[in-house]
Amino acid sequence: MAESKEAGNTEQSAPQPADESRRGALKVLVTAGSIAYAGALAAVGASFATSTVGGETRERWLRAARLADLPEGEPRRVPMIGDARDAFTVTPAEQLGSVWLLRKGNDVKALSATCPHLGCAIDLAADKKGYSCPCHTSAFSIEGATQSGPSPRGMDLLATRITDGWVEVDFRKYRQGTAEKKESAS
Amino acid sequence: MSDSNDTKSAGSEGKKQSIGDWFEERTGYRALLGHALNEPVRGGAKWAYIWGSALVLTFVIQAVTGYLLMSAYTPSATTAWASVAHITFTMRAGWIVRGLHHFGAQAMVILLVGHLAQTALFGAYKRPREMNWFLGLALMGVTLAFALTGYLLPWDQKGYWATRVATNIVGSVPAIGPWLQSVLVGGPEYGHMTLTRFYSLHVGVLPAALVLLLVLHVALFRKHGVTPPAHVDEPGAPPAKVDSFFPKQVGMDLLFGLAILGGLFALAWREHGAPLDAPADPASDYPARPEWYFLALFEMLKHLPGSMEAVGAVGVPLVLGGYLVALPFIDRKPTRALKARIGILAPLVLMGLGAVALTVVSMRNDAADPAFQKARQLASERSERSIALFKKGVPPEGPLAMLRRDPETRGPELFAANCASCHKLGDMAPPEGKVSAPDLTTFGTRAWVIAVLDDPDGDHMFGKTPFKGNMPSVAKPPADPEAAKDFKPMSDADKNTIADFLVAQAKGDRAEGSAGEKLVKRRCTGCHRLDGKQDESGSEESLAPELRGWASVAWIQAQIDDPGSGKAYPKGAGAPELKGKMPGFADKLDAADRTLLANWLHRRSQVAK
Repeated sequence: MAESKEAGNTEQSAPQPADESRRGALKVLVTAGSIAYAGALAAVGASFATSTVGGETRERWLRAARLADLPEGEPRRVPMIGDARDAFTVTPAEQLGSVWLLRKGNDVKALSATCPHLGCAIDLAADKKGYSCPCHTSAFSIEGATQSGPSPRGMDLLATRITDGWVEVDFRKYRQGTAEKKESAS
Repeated sequence: MSDSNDTKSAGSEGKKQSIGDWFEERTGYRALLGHALNEPVRGGAKWAYIWGSALVLTFVIQAVTGYLLMSAYTPSATTAWASVAHITFTMRAGWIVRGLHHFGAQAMVILLVGHLAQTALFGAYKRPREMNWFLGLALMGVTLAFALTGYLLPWDQKGYWATRVATNIVGSVPAIGPWLQSVLVGGPEYGHMTLTRFYSLHVGVLPAALVLLLVLHVALFRKHGVTPPAHVDEPGAPPAKVDSFFPKQVGMDLLFGLAILGGLFALAWREHGAPLDAPADPASDYPARPEWYFLALFEMLKHLPGSMEAVGAVGVPLVLGGYLVALPFIDRKPTRALKARIGILAPLVLMGLGAVALTVVSMRNDAADPAFQKARQLASERSERSIALFKKGVPPEGPLAMLRRDPETRGPELFAANCASCHKLGDMAPPEGKVSAPDLTTFGTRAWVIAVLDDPDGDHMFGKTPFKGNMPSVAKPPADPEAAKDFKPMSDADKNTIADFLVAQAKGDRAEGSAGEKLVKRRCTGCHRLDGKQDESGSEESLAPELRGWASVAWIQAQIDDPGSGKAYPKGAGAPELKGKMPGFADKLDAADRTLLANWLHRRSQVAK
């Protein structure tokens, strides 16, 4: 080892070979100890820095609108109101997002208003016969199917049910930018 | 870095280089590394020299964990506590990071004392190393400032009250005190600005100051080298042994550093991170104590009259600091032999012994003080409750709002402040002999019903109220001998049947058509109301309360709002001429508090055995 010779030169008396090998062993030990010290801190740091909290996916039925208030065949955008959790803060009755509701008789279809492409808010198209995203001009049919533009999949369909005359939506969020509809933690 | 590569390394025309050579050619790092590692240690490596390196290593822990904490901590009075709880209880490895930082700070203080003592004993403050002694003292000041500012950041009771006391001490300094205090606090009151100021000092100003001073400190240390024991430099001493810094001294330093790191991990493990008290509450009673290394100062303050506060808290540390600064000028003899310097170092030793003694006295006083122990117990319970509530989410208004909406926390507070001057409930009670209303400890339960049936005029029931004498006991014969002749005590079975009915009411069950209801109609509604109605013999004048829904939330709340509401007790029970009656609280407490109190009282009865 080159360093040991150099280091040895700084000493006043010439080191004995036995001393020299002990010194070499000590160097290895000290270097390993330093790595262990740094490693322990780095492991804790990496674990903490990559800790993302929250996020289990779960059913979340939110009241959206009175069925009687929804016009037949005409999409309506309604806000989703529920408890919003941001790390440790829980804000009650906060607007979490919005959905498009389309009524056909007693059946209501709910489409997430979040564009599956990159997450902009989807609005009704100018002709009101479909939806369009204002960011990258993805266009969707009134049923939510992709018609043109970069969106990798159609608008995300959300489950609905009618309870006591109210339309309820199971409000969930999905990953953006993928062809597959995959739920993301919220 | 093998020898075989060294011979080829100079090659520039496509010959193979090691990675080390590649960097060496471009940076010259080997010389730099050699300079750092091969520093000669005159007199040989020593365990006595480990303090400085241990401080640097621990500072590295503080820096690493500090940066990590910065990535998750949110400095504002409404979010700080919850973000620290989030770090400790929710984030992965958060408790380790916070534990290392918390206990690392305390280790720094201990190591500082060790470093200072070693340097002083070895005489390392003497010519030509005076400047480095001063830099060391400045570093000590910065480290203590780190400790003081960091203590406030969790914005829990402990940090809040300790720091409030500390800034008030600053305010007691003559002339500049009040101004300095308002600058530190960022206004007249503690709040967002105080926290952000302390935060910016802790993560911005102080680290910059520390790094700058540390660089100078280490550079000067390298310039002058270690200060070997005095005998090494004595005339006629054999030539000194010299070790290079690496590996022997580095090995000793590192071994100590690893032991400290291990100790910090162990402490973090034991405490699951670091203690977190309940959120800072300016309106609470809290037994404030500083962190242990300031306990000596705290204890000293207790024994000084208030007018001497500034002298004690600021003057004494200034005099001690002044002595340390003056040390190189007082001790000008060239010898570093300890024997020759005993007199000069005596104040340092006395300082150390005095601090230890005061700290021990302070701890013993607290341990022997039941009032302090009780307050500490309450503070711990509040802390545990706060953390349990935190796990359900903290409202945007902050953790204090969370506690104020929690019946388990707020209920007892409201009861103690508004009800316990007449009613007893568990530990909360009026002074001995001042009870003037029924004991509510078991209110709403079978035990309470049986007790009131047996002995309604007992002191723990209605014996001290204007209702005394209104209700006959079912167990004791009446005082009138005529009436006593016909008296037959109620059977236990009947008492239980009535209790069943009333306990059902408390649970919100009307129990209509039950045996209990029938018995109540037969035995009680001569005076009491059931659904607002008495039986034929009933008198409008009777002040006996409604039994439907007795001890339910609505019943309790009606009674709290207005004791003459007719929903619990009849109108007459609220008449102003009735001496010693219960006051209404509709205009004394806001609606949310009254509802919370009613709910809390009700829930107590439902969980009681």
